[in-house]
Amino acid sequence: MSSARPARSFKRRTTAILRSRPFLTFAVVLLVWVAASFLRPGFGSFGHLRYLVELAAVIGLVAAGQTFVVIAGGIDLSIAAIVTVSAVSLPLLSIDADPTGVTAIIATLAMTTCIGLGNGLGVAYLRVHPMIMTLAMATFLQGLLIIIAGGSAISSQNPLVAWLGNARPGGIPAGVYVWLAVSALVLLVMHATPLGARIFAIGANPLASKLSGVPVQATTTVVYAISGFTAGIAGVLLLGMNGQGYVGIGDPYLLASIAAVVLGGTSILGGLGTYAGTMPGALLLVTITALITVVNASAGWRSILFGSLVLALLLLSGREQARR
Amino acid sequence: MSEVPAHSAKAVLPLYWQVQRRRNADLFGLFAVVLAFLAAYGFLFPGFFTLQGFAKFTQSWFPLALVAMAQAILMLTGGISLAVGAMVSLGAVIAATTMAGPLGVTGGAAVVALAGLGIGAATGLIVVKLRLPAIVVTLAGSFIVGGAALLILPRPGGAVPEWLSDMLAGNTPAAFALIVLIVLLWKIYLATPLGLGIYAAGENPVGAYRSGIRVDRVLVAAYAISGLLSTGAGLFVAAQTGSGDPVIGTAFTLNSIAAAVLGGIGFLGGQGSMRGALAGSLLLSLMISVMFFLGFTPVSQYVAQGLIIIGAVAIPQFRRKR
Repeated sequence: MSSARPARSFKRRTTAILRSRPFLTFAVVLLVWVAASFLRPGFGSFGHLRYLVELAAVIGLVAAGQTFVVIAGGIDLSIAAIVTVSAVSLPLLSIDADPTGVTAIIATLAMTTCIGLGNGLGVAYLRVHPMIMTLAMATFLQGLLIIIAGGSAISSQNPLVAWLGNARPGGIPAGVYVWLAVSALVLLVMHATPLGARIFAIGANPLASKLSGVPVQATTTVVYAISGFTAGIAGVLLLGMNGQGYVGIGDPYLLASIAAVVLGGTSILGGLGTYAGTMPGALLLVTITALITVVNASAGWRSILFGSLVLALLLLSGREQARR
Repeated sequence: MSEVPAHSAKAVLPLYWQVQRRRNADLFGLFAVVLAFLAAYGFLFPGFFTLQGFAKFTQSWFPLALVAMAQAILMLTGGISLAVGAMVSLGAVIAATTMAGPLGVTGGAAVVALAGLGIGAATGLIVVKLRLPAIVVTLAGSFIVGGAALLILPRPGGAVPEWLSDMLAGNTPAAFALIVLIVLLWKIYLATPLGLGIYAAGENPVGAYRSGIRVDRVLVAAYAISGLLSTGAGLFVAAQTGSGDPVIGTAFTLNSIAAAVLGGIGFLGGQGSMRGALAGSLLLSLMISVMFFLGFTPVSQYVAQGLIIIGAVAIPQFRRKR
């Protein structure tokens, strides 16, 4: 008896993992990779898959903050602008006294965290709806960006940023390491800290969590600050991969981050989800885009295919469950 | 016996106006701000009081008013659309490719209307029948509709007959007349079971269903009307510019949400009124014009716009809290 019980619970755990949204999404990604590499020999090569994962790292980083915000019951529409702010202002922050370029990165991340903090303060204390607050912030930043960049592309001379974007220690891009490190941290905070539990609580029912003693306003503020922080990292990585920052560099990442979050099984209504689903969600998104590029269709058909595939995949993972 | 109907008719009329007054009371602050901006506009641009100036002013407001209404209908039902911009683009390219061809203006307008109604209804069916969240469906839908617009007209081009441009976007206030007409139609629609159901379904879908409201039908109809208004705005934009552009509507998605929320429409459904959404769109449009006349640089326009939107939304929240 005593030996059978752990065995049964192990079996139950295994089936639970096999049936979970994150695993299913990941299985879909692998399936698509295998199928595509049979159809297109070049698709499954290590170099191509590495490239896909590298692209997914940027989406995954942006979507990390978005996952927090969505689980907390909000949405961050200023993410694209924050990514752009990060990628454009970092080259301007080069400090001669620091040849490694660490200071500039830290300063940039501090700035984007403060922008996120501003969003959080507006949502939590001014009680502006998240969609309006972050939208207005995006408009505000758009104006700011024109002041900073003046519409031209700015090349980065920062050695550390260039290393992050181009180096491949052990054959794997440095950006992927950054993604993995941030992912580990995000999963830890989300599922193993009181802060994570509070974030789920305020997303599921803000009133009940307030009455239970959860500091709703402070937690909300922190969530948006995290979103600003991860969007800042994504911007740094994007700058490293591109070599230069320009206004509009972050634009594709707003919709991508929301799509990755939802494809990963996180409820857009809040209170339910995990970053473990968002990660394969980001991979799936990049894979779809790559497949559509392989098909070699016109821009219109590419867009239609992308929308239809996302819609079809949503049927697998994005349906709202009956709950509460 | 004969006294009773007379009495009830007497009671109904004041009740109607009471309701109207209460609805206006919530929006009093917004109306005051809109009037202040209107006065500023009239002061900065004296031509406003001529027929031509008034026509030009309403034309710059018209597409935003339409998409604000399109968004407000959905938000009243508790939904939202991120595909409004793509639908505007689709309406514009359909108008620019069909109207100068064999279909003519009437045929082209019919195709634009059918596309809006059809795509809107399809979106509504997906949201209702497959139980997918509206924000995600319309996000995916924006790619599909935007792609269709690119297929119809890969690069800006096409043409709209000149007389149509002159009629809609010329020196006559035809756009204003259209707004009045649409508002009247909305009033009539609100008196039908489908229209009444919009508020009920948004406020409490389960309660509405149990009271015998066909919630599914109400929602699909609301999505269809929203699609029609969006492609209609596209037709107008095509007439304004004289040609079609597959990405011309992009900015309308977020502006429509901003206008509806400025007008006091709530995200949870059932809160707010169409007059509020229209006032919100008017405020947004006035804000842009006034800042332009004051000689704001584009940069400070963005900054001021962001600040005004936050302020306009946050201040009523504070008042409610007290």
